[in-house]
Amino acid sequence: MAVPLREYLEEIRADLRLDPGAEQEVLRELSTHLEEKAEELRQAGLSEEEASRQAAEFFGSPKAIARQMYQVYSQGSWGQALLAALPHLIFAGMFALHIWQSPIWLLLVIVAALGLAIYGWGHGKPAWLFPWLGYLLLPVVIVGLLLMALPPNWNYLALLAYIPITLWVLFPIAIQTVKRDWLFGSLMLLPLPVFIGWFLALQQGKFLEFHLPYLYELAPWIALSFVFLGVSAATFIRFRQRWLKTGALLTPELVILILIVSSPSQGLSFAGLLALIVFSLALLLSPALLQRKLARKESKVRSFS
Amino acid sequence: MNYGRELLKGSTDTLLLSLISRQPMYGYQIIKELAARSQGYFKFKEGTLYPALHRMERGGLVKAQWRRLPNGQERRYYSITAKGQKVLETKRAEWQGFATAVNLIMSPRPT
Repeated sequence: MAVPLREYLEEIRADLRLDPGAEQEVLRELSTHLEEKAEELRQAGLSEEEASRQAAEFFGSPKAIARQMYQVYSQGSWGQALLAALPHLIFAGMFALHIWQSPIWLLLVIVAALGLAIYGWGHGKPAWLFPWLGYLLLPVVIVGLLLMALPPNWNYLALLAYIPITLWVLFPIAIQTVKRDWLFGSLMLLPLPVFIGWFLALQQGKFLEFHLPYLYELAPWIALSFVFLGVSAATFIRFRQRWLKTGALLTPELVILILIVSSPSQGLSFAGLLALIVFSLALLLSPALLQRKLARKESKVRSFS
Repeated sequence: MNYGRELLKGSTDTLLLSLISRQPMYGYQIIKELAARSQGYFKFKEGTLYPALHRMERGGLVKAQWRRLPNGQERRYYSITAKGQKVLETKRAEWQGFATAVNLIMSPRPT
């Protein structure tokens, strides 16, 4: 295939954000059309370069085609929306029914999350996979927070060892997720600010000083926040447009953080809420920055090769 | 304003279904057939055809199949499904009613 057509198809591919199987099928079909058109133009007397350039011009804006094609494939079924909402709803149920401390339930959730994550990762990384993957990452964060409870000096030493190991594990997952679509990275990270928000809200004066009866009192509020997360994940799956998907992630997140401050908990002040909102926005939008960096790096590599 | 393109926006699926219902067709063939049958009236950016075809495929109105030609080239042929045929019949009836009403209003009064 001529270089202008290859570059043109690469521009479409960069914005398609489909699962690898669908992406390959779409690009294969578009390339047969472009090659046939270019061949016709060559037979009409144009040079190979000019024929390829005109074939691409007749085809239209690569960004517009990629966007329209994305909208065809981006809407998941109601079943997929339910599957994406399920881990959040399970957590909501566990808090609503006060079984969040049950090791059996926790084990069941972890096993289900692990099974679905492995299956989804090996089957084209569909959108419903990422909320499950997010819950698999939570124990990693919780262990990190618990390390702060170690005696002074020891906690810093433990964190020095823990952070590089965590990054070593998480970074490849983050890269693969963001390469698929940065919005999936945000979908995965969605419960993290909520966990941190409740974690901070439940502090009684000193850091890591919990009062368990207090947690029982707040359980309905916590359950409600997980229901919001479930709604957020389901609407994300059902929306076609990217701006609506972004809104489906950010809006419920902000509502939940306000809910945490409005709950009877006293651990989080208004200033704390603002800091948490800024942290959440930065965290949820960070995959977009990472994707941009990766795309720049890839285009540099391509221009050298 | 390109009126051909504006008019096409609302009727893309019906026009494509109508063409595909005659015989299975691949994308580039559909583009050429559309331009030829409309005597060049419907011209649009060729790439925008594919999102429409894939949307109809996901909606179950058409099905697609790869075929290899004797010269080794591959093409993805679209054919209409029973559901697509049903939708097309409804759309055709709607269009005929609409066109008749518009003609009654737009055609010059007999002198």
